[in-house]
Parts: sequence; C-alpha cells; structure tokens
Amino acid sequence: MIAGGWICLLAPLAGALAIVLAGQRISRRTAGWISTLTTFVAFGGALMAFLGLWAADPDDRERVSTAYTWLAAGGFEVGFQILVDPLSSVMMLIVSGVGGLIVWYSMGYMAGDDEERRYFAYMSIFVFSMLMLVEAGNFLLLLVGWGLVGLASYLLIGFWHKRPEAVAAAKKAFVMNAIGDATFALACVLLIWETGTLEFFGVFAEVDSLSTTSVNLIALGLLGGAVAKSAQIPLQTWLPDAMEGPTPVSALIHAATMVTAGVYLLARASPVFEAAPDVQHLAAILGAATLLVAGLIALVQWDIKRVIAYSTMSQIGYMFMAAGIGAYGYAIFHLMTHAFFKALLFMSAGVVIHHLQGEQDIRRMGGLKSVLPKTHIAFLVGTLALVGIPPFAGFWSKDGIITSAFATGGALGWSLYIAGLVGALLTGAYAFRLYYTVFRGEAQSAEAEAVHHEHGEGPRSMLVPVGILTVLSTIGGLVVIPGVWHPFTSWIGETAEPLVEPTVLEDYAMSVLAVALGLIGFYVARRAFHAGRQLVTSPGAWRVLEHKLYFDELYDALFYRPAVAISTALRRNFEEPVIERSLDEIGSGTIRVGDDVARVQSGLLRAYAVAIAAGVCVLVVVFVAVR
Amino acid sequence: MDGPDIGWYLIVAALLFGIGALGVMMRRSPLIVLLSTEIMLNAANLTLIAFARQQGDLDGQIFALAVMAVAAAEVAIGLGLIVAMARRRIVLDVDQASALRG
Repeated sequence: MIAGGWICLLAPLAGALAIVLAGQRISRRTAGWISTLTTFVAFGGALMAFLGLWAADPDDRERVSTAYTWLAAGGFEVGFQILVDPLSSVMMLIVSGVGGLIVWYSMGYMAGDDEERRYFAYMSIFVFSMLMLVEAGNFLLLLVGWGLVGLASYLLIGFWHKRPEAVAAAKKAFVMNAIGDATFALACVLLIWETGTLEFFGVFAEVDSLSTTSVNLIALGLLGGAVAKSAQIPLQTWLPDAMEGPTPVSALIHAATMVTAGVYLLARASPVFEAAPDVQHLAAILGAATLLVAGLIALVQWDIKRVIAYSTMSQIGYMFMAAGIGAYGYAIFHLMTHAFFKALLFMSAGVVIHHLQGEQDIRRMGGLKSVLPKTHIAFLVGTLALVGIPPFAGFWSKDGIITSAFATGGALGWSLYIAGLVGALLTGAYAFRLYYTVFRGEAQSAEAEAVHHEHGEGPRSMLVPVGILTVLSTIGGLVVIPGVWHPFTSWIGETAEPLVEPTVLEDYAMSVLAVALGLIGFYVARRAFHAGRQLVTSPGAWRVLEHKLYFDELYDALFYRPAVAISTALRRNFEEPVIERSLDEIGSGTIRVGDDVARVQSGLLRAYAVAIAAGVCVLVVVFVAVR
Repeated sequence: MDGPDIGWYLIVAALLFGIGALGVMMRRSPLIVLLSTEIMLNAANLTLIAFARQQGDLDGQIFALAVMAVAAAEVAIGLGLIVAMARRRIVLDVDQASALRG
C-alpha cells in the first residue's frame, strides 16, 4: 500500500527525467506519451494506496514511510517521508487522475508547438511537485513541494517565453507565491522553535500546549502561504494573469494542482488552525471576500479564460470558507468536484480556442453550438456543475458548504452564509453569460478564420479526456447525498474531524434556496443576452470591475512605485555622488601617486646602489639607537 | 687562541666592504661593478670565518662555502651578461643602460 504512495510520487519524476535525458532522441509525440503514461502510472499507484487504505482497519489508516533521514541537527530530525492517510490518498487520486487527463489532452492541444518536449517535461514536474506537496509527511517536505509547485507554475505560465506578457505573468505569479512561501517558511521556523519537530503528528500533539501568540503566528504564517498559493485576497492578482500560459496549463493550475494546495494545507494543518480559531475564521472571511469579488469581476471580463479563472478564484473562496469553519470534508469534496468541472471548462474552452486559431476574446465568438456540438455539451455540463444545478457535481459540494456556514450560526456563520448565497447568484450570472456569448447567437468574426478538422471537433487526444471529465462532472458529486450516504466526507473526516455537521433537513432547505439563486443568475444572464445588454449596466461599476477593483493599481502605488522612488533617490543621492565618485577618486589618486613614485626609478644602477647603501646605514643607526 | 685579535679581522673586512661598496657606487664599467660586488662578498666571507674561528665551531665556515658557490654562480651570469652586451655593441657603461627609468 505504501508502495503505491512511492510509485505515485516518483513516476512523474521519472517521466520528467526520461524526457529531459532523452532530449532530441525521442519524437515530440513520444515525449507526450511518456508524460501521459507516467502520470497515469502515478494514478495507478494512488489507486493502490487508496484501496489499501480502504481495506485497512479504520484505526490504522495513517501510514508513514521514511526513505531516509534528510536533515539531522541535534535533537531535530526531518526525514524524507511520505504520509498516506485518507486525506492525502484522495488528493493523490485527484492530482494524478485529473492531471493525467490534462496531460493527455495537451498532446492534441500542443501538437506542432516548437518546444513540446520541454512542455511535457515541465508538466511532469508540475504533477510531481503537487504529489510531493500532498504526500509529504512533514511540514518541511510540504514546503519543498510548495516551492516546487511555484517553480513549475512559473516555468509553465511563461512557457511561451517569446511573449513579453507571458514572461511578466510568470514573474508576477512567482513573486506573489514567494511572499506566501516566505510566511510559510517563517511558520516552519516557529514550529521548530516551539515544538522541536516538523512532523505532522508531532506538531499536532504539541499544538495545544503552545501559547496563544505563537500558535496564532504559526497559523497566520501557514495561512499566508495558503492565500498566496490559492490566489485569495489579498494575494490574488497573479491568477488571472497566469492565463497567458497554454490552456492545458491553466487547467492543470486550476483543477489538479497549485491553487487547491492552499485548501489542502488548511485541511492538513487543521489542528493548528483549530488551536488558533481567530486565524481560521480569518481564512473563512478571506474566502468569502474572494468569492464575492471574483464573482463580480467575472461579470465583465471578455477573455474566455479569464472568466473561468475568476470563477476558480471564487470557487476556491468557497473551499476556504468551508475549511475556515471546519467543514473540511466539504472543502475537499468541493475541491474534487471543482477539479472535475473546472478542468472540463478549461479543456472545452481549449477546444474552442484551438478551433478558432487562438482567439480568446468572447466578443469575437458566438453561435458555436452548431459548429462544435460535442464541445457545447461538455461546456454546458461544466457550466451546470459550476452553477450547482442538481444532479451535477458542483451542486452536492457547494450546497454542503453553504449549509455548513448556515449550521455554524452566529454573526460569522450568517455572514458567510449570505456571502455564499450571493456567490451562487453571481456564479449563475457570469457562467451563463459566458456560455451564451460563446455558444449561442450568431456566429461572429472569429469563425471565419476557424480551422475545420476532417474528423470532428479536434484531435482525439483532446476529445476523449473532455468526454471522461464530462461524465465525472455529471456523476462525480453523487458520493455525498445528504440523508442517503456520505462516504466521501466521512472518509476525509478520519483525517480532519469536521467542526460542524449540518442536519439533513437544513441541507435540503438550503439547497433549494441556493439552486433557486443559481437559476435566477441564469435567467438574468439569459435575458441580458437576448436583449443584447451587459450584466453590469452602470458605466462606473463597469470600470471599477474591469480594473479588478484596482488591486493591481493599489499594489503598484503601495509597493512598486515607492520601491522605484527609493531606488532612484538612492542612486541619485548616494550611489552616484558617494560610491561612484569615491571609486573614481581611488583610481585617479592611485595614478597620481604612481606617477610621483615612478620618478624614483631613475634607471641608474649606481643610484640604486647608493640608495641601498644609505638604507643599510639608516637601518644600522636605527638598530643601534633602539638597543 | 693564536693569531691576531678578532677586531683586526673585522677592520680588514670593513675596509674591503667599503672598497667594494664605493666601487659599485662610483665606477661605471659593468666589469668593475661586478668585481666590486665580489670584493664585498669576500668581505662578508672574512667576517663569517673570523667569527667561526672565534666561536670554535664550523657553522660560519660552512656558510662561507655556500656564499662562494653563490658568488661563482653570480659571476658566471654577470660575465655572461657583459659578454652579451659587448656582442651587441652596447656601450659598456651602467649609466647608459637606463631603459627601466620610470
């Protein structure tokens, strides 16, 4: 069983190494196959681990395997160890399963790109990093995976390195993530200081005996990392820009890897957060704020991928909210269903973009329903799952979160609950706005330049994964049906005990409300589309939303400009007058002294002899005098 | 101990050294300059041997032998240089060989 964990972790790494070492000796297509197959091997390993756990005794579902002691300093030891427990096994399945489908899909999407081998090597590394993150048996290894995920995303977002926007977006993602990595690392240092260990169970056993201040600081550090990685307010601005990468990369970042890492961390480190309830509530509040803000911004975006990107931010906001109120099972459940339908949305958007020769502006799309009928169904299923219409996957998970917020009660619970409901309304509106603009109505200008494949709507390697995900998005949520069964949430509950358990009655009552709001959103979007109106009619509000609530401008004014101003001032007032001038002075001074000293070198042998004799005389006199 | 007092040896050595030093400082012919340095070396040898004799051990004498070997090598190189200068018709005057003036 634990072997499954190791297979799962190492297969993608082996794939990446094979592609890198083989270089040009293998064809691009072979590289794609290596990457796809090793990711599916990882899925097989994950399945082994999962089934092994399933068969195991419920009290014996936490297996740690240490390959070797990685670091040892005094009494402090960190091993290269993996942990296979209910939470990590589910994450392994999601990461390798959905990841494998996306890599497979890339083979069609990226066909013909100049640097396919590099692309697939990066993809394998990305999957490996994320598996490292979810399988890590201690915080340090988790941080390693955390950093590797950041690196891999940097490499892939900037994959088209000849496009300046892509390079800038990659840099932005990396810097934003580095902020989170730094707070995470600080939390680890504090943990070593306070508990003397970084192993999960060691930390969790100690965490209750720590002082409030230190546990709050540790939780804040971890939350900082989670917020940056999961693109929540206030570190959210990198995610929409990350759409500069190839579409499968966006799918991978949003569905299987990367942004879900923050949610995983909240669930994994739940004992730490429960010891610091204020910080945990802060996570929920940040999630709620993000889900509203991102939902609003999504209403006015024109780029098909950016709309989906904002919807990711908003859905991750739901997950943060759930994890923040202790509904870990629902957080991970939504993570899984979201992985299905978000990968599906991105990949069917990828089919559209592929079909339209790289066009991403939805104003130039329209009427694609008749041209791409299969993709249309896939996209519609993804949209329905996103909005949370039963019986599609998103319904079961999102309503679980909203109900949990309701069941939490109190001022916090109620405000989160209302935010969740408003979010459901916004989701309905922006998701169907996107659907209508792209697939319904008249064909727009981009259609003229479209490529028409002889066989269907795209290469088979693209359509098959989309089909699989369509099925998963349809039925993937049926593993939790309130009142009937809930194997998924109780499975996660073995690792992270939920703090809140809504009753079945609450669940169905809330579902009706949430679905009704989603349908209202759908209706609004539909009417606006048929009337040729936009969803946001006030020009002022439009401008604010189009500028993403001026977050970029704010950070520009708060951090970038002052930094530039300080640097310029330092250069003018310190670097140039002090450092540069002093260097010049040292140089010219040396030359002057050298010129003077050179005159002593007369070239006359006899003069030298006299000088030596005189020197000896002086020395003799000095020695005699000193004695 | 037989023979003159060590002071006499030192006086002779000092005179020899002074003659050699003056020769190096005043004469312009490289041959004479070389000769003068030899005189200085021999003055040093004389003091070494004188002191060795006074102390009654062999260290100074051994050292004097080493100085002679070095002096022989130095003369070989110095004369070689002078011969080379003469062959190239360079005036044998140390004052005119001043290309290294700074």
